Amino acid sequence: MNEAIKVTDELEFLDAGKISISRNAFAELVVELPDGISHTKVDVVRSFPIYEADRYIALIDSEGNEIGIVEDIKNLPQQSRDILSEELQKRYFMPKITKINSLEGSFGITNWDVETTQGDVEFGMRSRYDVTSLENGRVLIKDVDGNRYEIEDYNKLDPKSYALLQTQL
Amino acid sequence: MHSPMSDSGRGSSRRMRMSSYGGRPRRRKGNEELTTKEEVPELLKKRAQELLDTGEEIKVAVSTDLRFDGTYGKDWLLATDKRIIAFNQNSVLGHDLQEIPLNAIEDIEILEMYGNNILKITTSDNAIELARYSKKYTPKFNLTVSELEKLSSLNKDGAAEERRGRGPGPGGRRGRRGPNAGSTPGLQRGGDRSKCDNCGQPIPSWTGVCINCVQNSKLIIRLFKYAIPFLHVMIPAFIIMLLMRFIGVLPPILHREIVDNILDPAGNVISVAVNNNQPIPEQLPETSWGILEGIKNLLSGWFTMPLGGSFGHLVWIVIFMASISIFTTVISSIRGYMMAWVGQNITRRLQNETYEHLNALSIDFFHERDTGNLMSRITHDVSRLRDFIANGLQDIIGDSFTLIYMCIIMFITSWQLALWTLIPIPCLIFFTIFFGKKMSKVYQVLWKRYSNISTILASTIPGVRVVKAFARERYEISRFNEMTYQVFSGEMNAAKLGTLYYPIMQFITFAGTIIIWFVGGWQLFQGNLTLGTLVMFQSYMMQFFGPVRTLCQMNERFIRAGTSAERVFEILDTPPNVADKKDAVALANIRGSIEFKDVYFTYDNEKYALNGVSFQVQPGEMIGLVGHSGAGKSTLVNLITRFYDPNRGAIVIDGHDSRDIRIKALRQQVGVVLQDPFLFEGSIADNIGYSKPGSSRREIIAAAKAANAHDFIIKFPDGYDTLVGERGARVSGGERQRISIARAILKNPRILILDEATSSIDTETESKIQEALERLVKGRTVFAIAHRLSTLKYAHRLVVLKEGEVDEIGTHEELIAQDGTYANLCQKQTELSKIRAW
Repeated sequence: MNEAIKVTDELEFLDAGKISISRNAFAELVVELPDGISHTKVDVVRSFPIYEADRYIALIDSEGNEIGIVEDIKNLPQQSRDILSEELQKRYFMPKITKINSLEGSFGITNWDVETTQGDVEFGMRSRYDVTSLENGRVLIKDVDGNRYEIEDYNKLDPKSYALLQTQL
Repeated sequence: MHSPMSDSGRGSSRRMRMSSYGGRPRRRKGNEELTTKEEVPELLKKRAQELLDTGEEIKVAVSTDLRFDGTYGKDWLLATDKRIIAFNQNSVLGHDLQEIPLNAIEDIEILEMYGNNILKITTSDNAIELARYSKKYTPKFNLTVSELEKLSSLNKDGAAEERRGRGPGPGGRRGRRGPNAGSTPGLQRGGDRSKCDNCGQPIPSWTGVCINCVQNSKLIIRLFKYAIPFLHVMIPAFIIMLLMRFIGVLPPILHREIVDNILDPAGNVISVAVNNNQPIPEQLPETSWGILEGIKNLLSGWFTMPLGGSFGHLVWIVIFMASISIFTTVISSIRGYMMAWVGQNITRRLQNETYEHLNALSIDFFHERDTGNLMSRITHDVSRLRDFIANGLQDIIGDSFTLIYMCIIMFITSWQLALWTLIPIPCLIFFTIFFGKKMSKVYQVLWKRYSNISTILASTIPGVRVVKAFARERYEISRFNEMTYQVFSGEMNAAKLGTLYYPIMQFITFAGTIIIWFVGGWQLFQGNLTLGTLVMFQSYMMQFFGPVRTLCQMNERFIRAGTSAERVFEILDTPPNVADKKDAVALANIRGSIEFKDVYFTYDNEKYALNGVSFQVQPGEMIGLVGHSGAGKSTLVNLITRFYDPNRGAIVIDGHDSRDIRIKALRQQVGVVLQDPFLFEGSIADNIGYSKPGSSRREIIAAAKAANAHDFIIKFPDGYDTLVGERGARVSGGERQRISIARAILKNPRILILDEATSSIDTETESKIQEALERLVKGRTVFAIAHRLSTLKYAHRLVVLKEGEVDEIGTHEELIAQDGTYANLCQKQTELSKIRAW
């Protein structure tokens, strides 16, 4: 009887210490693997955008095939890490809401006027289901256009913002 | 159906069996004792006696309710230990008599027919139909058959004894309808029973419990066990209520005091003065607080009374009345909050307990009941119970106290007038009960009609594609219209009663006040009564209505609460059919050898889904299960996971009977991929990790990769954190399938079950899933069910099932060579795929 495979045996992550990520003249990402193969126009994808912003980053080549997964960007060489972080920041734009100025609902659309880490913004939200409450007071919000916002911990909001948010949870 | 246990193996093919239906005689206690020894009419008894030998006595005597000519009437079936005697009335003249010696009998059976049954006896040379009866007597005749069996086995030197020793045949099997000796009276185990085990009364299908047998007092005592932890709040709340009820009857007394002690004397002096054109005297007559004098003294002890004289008294009484009402408002809101807290706590405890038990119950419990019914037990019934404990019961007690307080005060003040005041009360009670009964009937109908509306909505909204595809919108609309009209007319019926009820109540109350005016006025003239007392009686008359109504509805409230309690407790009382034995082994590492030993299984005790299945599976072997729908493939795998246990025979896993293995240990090592995988509300990562709590992200990615799911998952903007909606609606069928395969892979099960895992998926996706499955099946014992035989190309052996029996077994090549069922199926599918290829 042969032993059943263990799923994790098959999975190999990229050897973070031995790859290099750089940017070429066209502002495209270039990934060089330990075996010398290099890919240009590389896409970076977070596997767990909500829970693991800096871990399990998938690198996708221009054809859409996965080059591999970086388990933790901490392990990358300093320069590569900076470039990858920068690229991720660009690709995943999710301002953190720090204060809610007003929340008005009319005809099913809720208009938010908020202050975020990226500046003040107003947006509309189509339904109650676009507010997702996660554990530890974390809240994700999706607006009419598909933009995303985050509240890190609603317990840390000022009382007024907190009260306004409670009407949506 | 041929019973596999019927032949005793002796030369004579003497068999005696009961038909498959209603295998177990149902014994009923209560109003109608189930007996096979009835009182036989003298005339027939005499005729029977003539046939008997000396010392032979009648052991069985049962009457039927149908005759062979199809009319209702009594025929008789008698049996001794030597013969069976049947009386069949064929005309007005009398009964025909048939006699069959027991030792001539080959077989006794019950023919199950439409609306009636026939008891038939086969002898060596012919067959005789002895008794015909309606379904009502099914239990009695089932019992009769077993009695007859017993008699004949006594007669026949223990041949049957040996047979019985070999265990129950399908007739007396254990299973869903198995004996439930420990059941509470009135309790419905199977959702498929139409009559109460206890009293024989029909059971309304929506309650599922026998209303006749619901023992309200017991249930309510049991319910109160849930209130015990909250007694420290409930008792103070109860005392507050009694206090409030007492305060509630005080205002009329104050009215009396105002009228008798202040307004009347002062008013008299003033009117005398006005009539005589004299100035109103500055000093009004000395007035008093009457019985409240004590309170005044107490108050003036604390601070000086600002206003002297009558007006001052009036002001103070008014202030006193106002403070009473402020006090009661505050206290009652505090009490309301306390009771809400108690009520919500009880709800939560009951709901949690019920849900927990629900999760422990076996699959068959859920198959027998519809989801909506179970859901409403946990939501509606529980909140109804909360209402009863927190409000209903206290209302009843409180209102009784109000009535008692009022009566005491009235009888102390003037017992004659009190008697007169009570005259309209019987009318009040009569009409409240009368209308209450009518109303509940109307509302029952209405309730049903409302549920019809939701039924239509619930079936047409999800089925909107079918409705539109067949252009049946008009039809559905008109059906809906019809339903709303029915609700409308029901509501109007209710309105008719409702609009009549309150005016009638008002009229009765009004009649009561008229009586008081008349009798009280007359007594006033006699000098037996003061004006204030008259006013007080009037106020009390107005207060009678509410409490009387509550008490009239008391019975109904108790019954409702009892029914709800029964519905909730039924869940709590149902033991799981598939449960761990005490000495069950926790098999930690299953190797995966499985042996089916003559496995019989039935879902409904009528048709066998598995009919003696036997075969052996080696560890690591992949078995393809092939057969038409209903051949028993899914049933077979349901037995491996122990969703059900076999009725007879055994499944032996690594040398242990599956019933001896801890369910949890077994299921931890069995992975299942179903045709229509179910995804829970939550993220994809949560859904993959469901099979292995606490799994790391690394494992989740690895499982997803192995299931060919990783690539599509990271294409979602939220990747593994993507929320899958209700039933995973935002993920396509193939994707869902791959997520569920990842779930199974992550669990790393020793035994894997693929139940139609790749049907209903396009070819492209199927090849991806096939690839994933190949990885998954390595080194495990696998049972794969598939209609598309190509899916089974990796199977080591194929088991072809046919009507619950193993038809063929072997490798693909062997079975093709056999040119049997499998070869036939293969050929058909090849032809089909040729057409497809075109």
